[in-house]
Amino acid sequence: MTQIKKIFPYLVSVLAAFVVVGLLLWVLKFNPLKAFETMLFTSFRTPNGFIQTLLKWIPLTLTALAFTVPLSSGKFNIGAEGQMLVGAIGAAAVGIIGKDLPLPVLLPLVILAGTLAGAFWGLISAWLLYQFNINEILSTVLLNFISFSLVDFVATGPWRDPAAGHPTTVPIGEGGFLPMLVKNPPLHSGIIIAVIVAVAIYYFTSKTTAGYELVVTGANPRASKVHGIDIKKMFLFSMVIGAACAGLAGAIEVSGVHHRLIEGLHSNFATLGLIIGLMSRGKNSAVPFVAFFISILEVGGSAMQRTVMVPVQIVLIAEALILIFILLSDIVKRRQK
Amino acid sequence: MEQDNILVMQQVDKTFDRVVALSNVNFELKHREILGLLGGNGAGKTTLMNILYGLYRADSGKIILEGKPITILSPKDALRQGIGMVHQHFLQINNYTVLENIILGSKVSRPFTNNYETEEKNIQQLCERFGLEIDLSARVETLPMGTRQKVEILKTLYRGVKILILDEPTTNLIPQEVDSLFETLKIMVREGLSIVFITHKLREVLSICDRITVLREGKNVISLTRKDASDEMLVRAMVGDKMDLEKSIMFTTRAETSAETARKETISLVGVNKINAQKIQELTDISFAIKSGEIFGVAGVAGNGQRELAEVVMGIQPVTSGKVIFEEKEITSLLTSERIAEGFVYIPEDRLADGFLNKTSVAHNLILGYHKLEPYSRKGIINWKNVNDRSRKMIAEYNIKTTGPEEIGGNLSGGNIQRVMIARAFSQPSRLMIAHNPTRGLDIPSMDFVYQKLLEHASTGATTLLLSEDLDELLLICDRIAVMYRGKVVGILPREKFEKYEIGRLMSGFDLASN
Repeated sequence: MTQIKKIFPYLVSVLAAFVVVGLLLWVLKFNPLKAFETMLFTSFRTPNGFIQTLLKWIPLTLTALAFTVPLSSGKFNIGAEGQMLVGAIGAAAVGIIGKDLPLPVLLPLVILAGTLAGAFWGLISAWLLYQFNINEILSTVLLNFISFSLVDFVATGPWRDPAAGHPTTVPIGEGGFLPMLVKNPPLHSGIIIAVIVAVAIYYFTSKTTAGYELVVTGANPRASKVHGIDIKKMFLFSMVIGAACAGLAGAIEVSGVHHRLIEGLHSNFATLGLIIGLMSRGKNSAVPFVAFFISILEVGGSAMQRTVMVPVQIVLIAEALILIFILLSDIVKRRQK
Repeated sequence: MEQDNILVMQQVDKTFDRVVALSNVNFELKHREILGLLGGNGAGKTTLMNILYGLYRADSGKIILEGKPITILSPKDALRQGIGMVHQHFLQINNYTVLENIILGSKVSRPFTNNYETEEKNIQQLCERFGLEIDLSARVETLPMGTRQKVEILKTLYRGVKILILDEPTTNLIPQEVDSLFETLKIMVREGLSIVFITHKLREVLSICDRITVLREGKNVISLTRKDASDEMLVRAMVGDKMDLEKSIMFTTRAETSAETARKETISLVGVNKINAQKIQELTDISFAIKSGEIFGVAGVAGNGQRELAEVVMGIQPVTSGKVIFEEKEITSLLTSERIAEGFVYIPEDRLADGFLNKTSVAHNLILGYHKLEPYSRKGIINWKNVNDRSRKMIAEYNIKTTGPEEIGGNLSGGNIQRVMIARAFSQPSRLMIAHNPTRGLDIPSMDFVYQKLLEHASTGATTLLLSEDLDELLLICDRIAVMYRGKVVGILPREKFEKYEIGRLMSGFDLASN
């Protein structure tokens, strides 16, 4: 009963968002029912649709965690985009430099380099916060801009692939490719890493004393400080862990999908990650499930554009509306009291 | 008849969420009387009066003023009907003058100018009529608590009230100010006002009130005139049948002499100074030593450095100079977590900001600070089964009203949040307890329970630093009392020399002023 009560506002929010989007489609002279059918069921109709969904799920889960883990301690990491890109740069750099190394050596190096590079990018903001109390929202957002230029610099520099018409590096060594779980349609093993990370973070925040300190710091930093918790350390730590998740997402995109650094590989993952994080209300344990739902919409959205000719942006509108309605349901709940 | 009722409230019900705050409460106030509205925290006194003042709406019930039923929807309505209220927390603008604070929000004779001569004259007249000596041009932040309260009273008088409600008016006053307040109340009654005096202190109602109404758990218990009232009757009415008065600390007298003095000192402060980031001297040259088994009280008007003292001892704020010594070791630079490991326990004053986690579970709250200790955790892994088992025990022992360890802290009421803090503090064996206003917001049996726990704790040889704004509380259980004024310790009295007015004098800094 209570479980239903908890989910109820979410269901209503999703429904309400679809009603509004439906009206919008109707006004634009599309068939809303057909559009929704494509949007919701493409993922489950073909193996390809399902695998596409899983491939979206990996970076979405990781970038959402990049937002929610720091949020557990009350800090806002808006820089998952930059951290993901720097992670991708790190992974690509190691993959290119060590391109002759065998898989058991190169693959872990590539993944690790990406994760650490992302963590380093987050550490800059975290350290500024720790040392000078500089607002982490500003510093993470601003570092995003630097990372865009950094990608351009690397992708048009000595590692540039002259054959490509778009800023792209040469491919990384084959030893750095994530092995495929399914050959056709292709599903790489990055999904295993993402699942492990999601489970580990859930376990960490709910079962360990350090995770407990993280959560209570987020709940009331002042009370946590009074009871002996080093809250500044918690801020630093959670920002770095979050950034490492984003860096890992970048490394997996390089090592599993593109096998090189491409400008624009971050797509809109970080923005969606933020939306997923907010929809989960910062609950790390809810992130993988919400991310899966959003992946379905994303995959369905591109299919919708192809088959029903509805612009893909409609999906983003739907996602934004769901979030707005969820936030509104909070206010409704408060008023009822 | 002069003694007819000026105001009657009938069958008032009020429920918050699922908590019944008032059920079928009747209330009568006669012309020109001081009525004591007595009861512990959570008895519904303030709720009832907030309904009368229009801050809350009753679920049902009638309000009859001078024979006519009225509805009150807001404090504005209440003031129009001649009902005024002075809250525990004053609603004043600190850097405004007394005059400006009084006329704020009322119509002035010459709007669009800064000329308030007419108003000033009127207020001056009121002051004379009610014997209130207040400098109207003083900024309120420079005034002592007792005077600021008189400004609040003057504010309601200026708005022409016939009925004045005072919510726990003596809370922040020193004994001398309490006497002066009582004088004012007597004059006001003589001038034709009717007064409701909300309090949980027996002595006060017996010394000033004409009639006494007792509430308990949102219900009427008794109403009687002072000459019919006895201590014992009122105590019983306030606490109900469940409390064992024989075992009680509050209603039995403790020995006049302090604990044996041969014990060794556990914690001492040597010349501690603290200057904050804004370059304000918060603590000046504080030195004292507390012995094991001793309950060392710190008295003072709120905001005279008590909080800073507690946080310096706990290691939350650093000292600027001076030493803190615990069991012959210097601990001045020890971290809070290290002090907790040494057996320090802290009950902070501001429970919502410093002590409680609204957004996490009750169990999270109950282990805060001790989460690294067994049986709560081992090697960095929390054992939630143990945590929940211990939490359930604490919830039962400390009478915390909650659905269980998993309930979100924010759902708890103020009194229950305080119980969580008390339960947490006493859940661990400790060697030094720092308790700052530990009974704030608790009902009488719970207050008594805390006193029993504190004495029990002291009897094990542990040391207690009890900071409180409730002087009665300190007089009741402390072995020595230090008085703080503007960040200094201005006097330390042993139990044999406890005297209310002497402490009051020190609290208001009279000694320093004359020097």
